[in-house]
Amino acid sequence: MASRQYATFEVDDQLFGVEVEAVQEVLSFHEYTPVPLAPSAVGGLFNLRGQVIAAVDLRVQLGLERQVIDGPVMNVILRTEDEPVSLLVDRIGEVIDLDDSQFEPPPDTLSGPVRDLVVGTYKLEDRLMLALDVKAAVDTSRVPS
Amino acid sequence: MEELGDIVHEFLMESHENLDQLDQDLVTLEQEPNSRELISRIFRTIHTIKGTSGFLAFSRLETLTHAGESLLARLRDGVQPVTQETITTLLAMLDKVRALLATIEETGSEGDVEIDSVIEALQRQMSEGAPSAEPPSPSAPAPEASESGDAASPSAEASTQQPAAETTAQPSTTEESAPQAETSATAEPTPTREIPDDPAGRRPLGQLLVESGAASPADVTWAVQRQVEGDERKLGTILLEEGKTTPTAVNEALQTQNKRSVADSAIRVDVDLLDALMNLVGELVLARNQLVRGVAEIGDPALIRTTQRLNLITSELQEGIMKTRMQPIEHLWAKLPRVVRDLANACGKRVRLVMEGKETELDRSLLEAVKDPLTHLVRNAVDHGVETPEERIAAGKNPEGTLTLRAYHEGGHVTVEVTDDGRGIDVERVAQKAIERGLLRPDQVATMDPREIMMMIFQPGFSTAKQVTNVSGRGVGMDVVKTNIERIGGAVDVDSTLGKGTTLRLTIPLTLAIIQALTVECAGERYVVPQVAVHELVYIDGETTKIEYASGTPVYRLRGKLLPLVRLDRVLDLPPAGDKGVYVVVLQADGRRFGMVVDRVLNTEEVVVKALTARFKDIGLYAGATILGDGKVALILDVASLARRSHLSAGQTERQAAVTATESTAKSGDVDRLLIASVGDRRVAIPLDMVTRLEEFPVDRIERAGMREVVQYRGQILPLARLSHLLGVMSEPEEEERIPMVVYTERGRSVALVVDKIVDIVEDKITALRDSDDDAMLGTAIVQQRVTELLDVRRAILAADPNFYNDAPDPMLVEA
Repeated sequence: MASRQYATFEVDDQLFGVEVEAVQEVLSFHEYTPVPLAPSAVGGLFNLRGQVIAAVDLRVQLGLERQVIDGPVMNVILRTEDEPVSLLVDRIGEVIDLDDSQFEPPPDTLSGPVRDLVVGTYKLEDRLMLALDVKAAVDTSRVPS
Repeated sequence: MEELGDIVHEFLMESHENLDQLDQDLVTLEQEPNSRELISRIFRTIHTIKGTSGFLAFSRLETLTHAGESLLARLRDGVQPVTQETITTLLAMLDKVRALLATIEETGSEGDVEIDSVIEALQRQMSEGAPSAEPPSPSAPAPEASESGDAASPSAEASTQQPAAETTAQPSTTEESAPQAETSATAEPTPTREIPDDPAGRRPLGQLLVESGAASPADVTWAVQRQVEGDERKLGTILLEEGKTTPTAVNEALQTQNKRSVADSAIRVDVDLLDALMNLVGELVLARNQLVRGVAEIGDPALIRTTQRLNLITSELQEGIMKTRMQPIEHLWAKLPRVVRDLANACGKRVRLVMEGKETELDRSLLEAVKDPLTHLVRNAVDHGVETPEERIAAGKNPEGTLTLRAYHEGGHVTVEVTDDGRGIDVERVAQKAIERGLLRPDQVATMDPREIMMMIFQPGFSTAKQVTNVSGRGVGMDVVKTNIERIGGAVDVDSTLGKGTTLRLTIPLTLAIIQALTVECAGERYVVPQVAVHELVYIDGETTKIEYASGTPVYRLRGKLLPLVRLDRVLDLPPAGDKGVYVVVLQADGRRFGMVVDRVLNTEEVVVKALTARFKDIGLYAGATILGDGKVALILDVASLARRSHLSAGQTERQAAVTATESTAKSGDVDRLLIASVGDRRVAIPLDMVTRLEEFPVDRIERAGMREVVQYRGQILPLARLSHLLGVMSEPEEEERIPMVVYTERGRSVALVVDKIVDIVEDKITALRDSDDDAMLGTAIVQQRVTELLDVRRAILAADPNFYNDAPDPMLVEA
């Protein structure tokens, strides 16, 4: 049976995951440069080893309040087609092996911004993990500023 | 062959570079046929290629370069003159060399590139070039060959023999004139017969000592012999210990030895290696950041200092590596003289190529992207822009057309201009053609301005050339240029005056370029403004300088003229600051001048421009981002769109008026730009050319050095001259805390002239110039209807620093 590895993280106490291959690295960072007039989901810019990276606030993408940045914030840096993009999350979880048998499509009743970002649900022993659609998660043009 | 791979690779790389230089040199030589220096350089380069190809057993390449070298030897020794045909033949030889190198690069061997025709042409040049009787002086008119060098010669046999005979007849043609028979016959490499003219390596110590007369040849030979026999001491040590020479002499010789020759000061580096280094430095920065955080938690002062130092070094290292990717645009331009020359010859035109701003740096990836579009524009300008000599004479122009390439940094972009002084673009014809081609409707044309119509030349399928030539004018090209430049985020623009010429302007984003930038602060965040757009800074104290409102629109009176203001906080939708204690950054973009109000002005520094992700393109206010010295990201403002965003574009007509005004003043030439200052009750004018900066210093910063007053200024000691003393007037008592000064800098030296007040800067015709009876003055004139005295600036400068125009520093100031 096929199994996949997921990097997991929490936002608003919900566990999310992206496939490990999409993750470049995970690190905490505390200084973000705001981009005035940018879409509200843009948390800011930061310097990753000389590269300017845009951080996307996953809370805003999920329809929640902006993350208040007054200390280190966890970044999940994702490889995308064009450039690395960072997702700002609350907490970093473990990398877990998941079996295809644990997968189910998102519940029909799930709606709102979350529904657009999620490709499915994995049933873990004690909780559920929502698998994120990486492309949709970093697309800041979805939410108007 | 495996171990030879590297050598061949290096040879190819080196030769490619050399060939570009050769192209350029040959074209220059055509214009300066008597430059022995050029001929020698060309000769040496060909000789090097020949030598190496011999060593690497590329016999065809060797044969070819040998033939070229023989012809060059004759040019060098003045046996025959440099003619257009000679140059054409030599250029043809270079093309063959290129073809051979390309085949070698591809297949590892020379393949079957045909070289005989060129060798033949070279030999024909030699036989035709040298009349049998007297060797002509290089300046003598070229013996005209009826046929240019590209047609096949009737008898290859004959022409191979003749030069050989020629050579024997003239032994003075040097060591290089190998028997010509060998040229076409041989397959075995000719060993290089001479040591390269300028040895790149270090010269032996013994040789240096003998040359300087510090040791006798016999002693050196003896010492070398000792070494051969197993003495492990160094040569200098042996000589010293045996008392054969002096320590001073050895030291001197060692120093000479260690001096880097030109060849040693630059090395070739693989780009992949640079990229790898770049990544490594990136990792280092990350590790540093972690360390800095960890150390801050521990709080050990010594450790903090060390990490700060590490911090700094890492940043510098990072920047240095970035810079290695930058290349001057010269690399791109190197090929163009040849392109222009060949094309001009083919079209029967005369074109002079002028290059300005060769040193402008671009990231190498951009350089690559600009190459083809630029070449196309140049070809286009020669083919369509510049007229034939006859047409030019008829139009009252110099028969030789001028094509100017200009590159410079502007407003966060690199601009490359291709300007010709040719026939210009006929807007009527363009409009007509656009209608014919169905690109425009007649009623559209009526509402378009000439510039917009000209831009039609960049439409696919558009060509105005009366005749379709084989060079350009097939309707492909200009649109491709536009597409290619836009692909890298740039823009193409055209400006033309019928009968006068055309300028095509490529605006290339910096992406990775390094620019001089001004860092400002607005609402607690830092923003970066390209320094090229910044004209001056004004501090708004709310008292003597203040922001005023014209029906709600903020303006500032800059030397009597209203300057429209843009509040950065408002544009960026940030919390607003007040009108006091802020700064106005006077900016110029797109031909418009405006002031940007910011909270603070921090500093100027060189920054590396990073492309901003596509998601911020729509905002349109940012030209990119950069990483500041402390590692934080800052946004680079796009000054031009800032101007547009602020509805300044309404001033289009005003702008054109301004342009016309500056043009007319520039043309009339008799307008003077003067700084007007008051000293006591006198009005003094200083030519603006003699003003480097205006400064204000607090009175308590003025110190005394001997009899003179000085201030510390940018790490230098700046001598002062009070114009009131010089003019012998009573100055207004210094109630002000800060006194204004006019700083003039030349060759790194500065002086300051102390005035009471800067009154104005005027552009005016100086009328009624009268001699003055005051020595410090050149004369008296009416400037803006008021009597104004023209300062003898040179005299005033010497009053501040008597040695200003001498090279020796003022001893008194050095002591100070």
